[in-house]
Amino acid sequence: MADKSPEPTHFFDCNVFVGSPAYQRPLLPVPKAGALLAEMDRAGVDRALVWHIAQHDASPQAGNRLVVEAIRPHERLTGCWAVLPTQTRELAPAPLLFRQMREARVGALRIFPSVHKFVANGVSLGALFGELVDRRIPLFVSVRRGMDWPDVYALLEDFPDLVCVICDHGSWGMDRLFRPLLERYQNVHVDTSQYLLDGGIDDLVTVYGERRLLFGSGFPESYFGGMMLALRHARISDQAKAAVAAGNLERLLAGAEL
Amino acid sequence: MICDSDLAREFWELGKSDSCPIYDMHGHMGRWQGIYFPRAETEQMIGTMDECGVRLLVFSHHDALLAPDIGNRSAVEAVRKYPDRLRAYCVVNPNYPDRAMADIVTYEQNRDAYVGLKFLPDYHGLPLTHGDYRAAWEFAAEGELLVLTHTWKDSELDGPATIRTVAERYPRVKLLLGHSCHGDWDAAVSLARDFPNIYLELTAVFDDRGVIEKFAGEVGSHRMLFGTDLPWFDPHHAIGVLLSAAISDEDRHNICHRNAETLLEPFLRANMLEEAIHDHETS
Repeated sequence: MADKSPEPTHFFDCNVFVGSPAYQRPLLPVPKAGALLAEMDRAGVDRALVWHIAQHDASPQAGNRLVVEAIRPHERLTGCWAVLPTQTRELAPAPLLFRQMREARVGALRIFPSVHKFVANGVSLGALFGELVDRRIPLFVSVRRGMDWPDVYALLEDFPDLVCVICDHGSWGMDRLFRPLLERYQNVHVDTSQYLLDGGIDDLVTVYGERRLLFGSGFPESYFGGMMLALRHARISDQAKAAVAAGNLERLLAGAEL
Repeated sequence: MICDSDLAREFWELGKSDSCPIYDMHGHMGRWQGIYFPRAETEQMIGTMDECGVRLLVFSHHDALLAPDIGNRSAVEAVRKYPDRLRAYCVVNPNYPDRAMADIVTYEQNRDAYVGLKFLPDYHGLPLTHGDYRAAWEFAAEGELLVLTHTWKDSELDGPATIRTVAERYPRVKLLLGHSCHGDWDAAVSLARDFPNIYLELTAVFDDRGVIEKFAGEVGSHRMLFGTDLPWFDPHHAIGVLLSAAISDEDRHNICHRNAETLLEPFLRANMLEEAIHDHETS
């Protein structure tokens, strides 16, 4: 028999959504927070940073409202809002926006430039994102939904100090695309949700350190357990596992000045 | 701990299971043009297999798939180095029918290494029904070999309609649908229901929540096969997904090893007999 692995660290999932996708009904929908929490309990996931699919499919206004309603009764859930360029004045301006986030227990932001039809660079986002940089508010971007790699590169070129987590970067081997960003920009991170690469976790942590990788499942489109088991048995230290599983996300959220 | 089951506890604690060995029916080996692999060499892959409890990997070498000038010899060499851990599919590239024919002619000499054939139509650019595949299909049918073919939704080369044609044409072939017509899950279910010689191989399916339950519920876990594209995907991810899915431990046993053991039995048995004869003759 092999030696037992260390007891599990607790898991804080950085990449979870709730709600009903408009464009295709999923095989196993998770429309409400209650269903999400039931799945988290079954898997052993303690906390989650949650966005709402309506933020992408419908509008940030509708989705931001829905995610606040979803997380309000559940301390284990932290919200993530979607934002737009400020020029069209569709969301609250910067100081008010951050206060609303704090009051609603929303700790981070997302953008979906392709479907929301804007360019993610300094021209469009400079007024707001300058504040994000100064306040170290984490921005989550998804390569699966809303951003392509040239968009991510352009965004970081204009905001090199942005605290950014690149999610859903693709299961078919994207290291040559995201590792240059990890090397150039010290506040860039990636999540695990599609990092299925055999030996990827070990290699990434060895090269870039444990602080640059965050546990994210991609739930409900992916299962919690896949990357949980991969992380638990990765060839990295217990300290590194704890950082990836929860500590890094806790640090990023705690570092934000809202 | 992912879920409340005996297998979940075992995999969570140890990373592997004595009672549930893994037979990975869809692997590769070596470098690939479009991806960085931390563990692409044979020994590194064996290390991963040890950690995850993968008893046997059945693979096609990347060189055989994309470097016709190298072909299948790297795969045969690897199997002969690790005969208790590896078996290979003989890759057929229809763009070079003369070389494919040579591989078929020499298949007997490498029967200790092979369990069947591997087709990659979406990359090689010809449909499974193309005439330059015919000799390989007929050879596989005659020997009742396993054929693992890449399959993908909407593909005219290896999509559901093409699969239906070849499944009707070659009922003696054990047809393993690599990726299970990825993205067209209803078509994969229909094919598996209509053809008893079709098996649903799960590489890259593990990343889509709900499909495992759908296949197990609508086809049955006795027709599903574990696969990871190793060295692409971490087997622990795939195992974690099987533990996450709302299926039973009996289903997990079927998917991880029982179905593969049944499919591989004629080939592993033949190899063992040959080894016994060889040992007897040399003793």
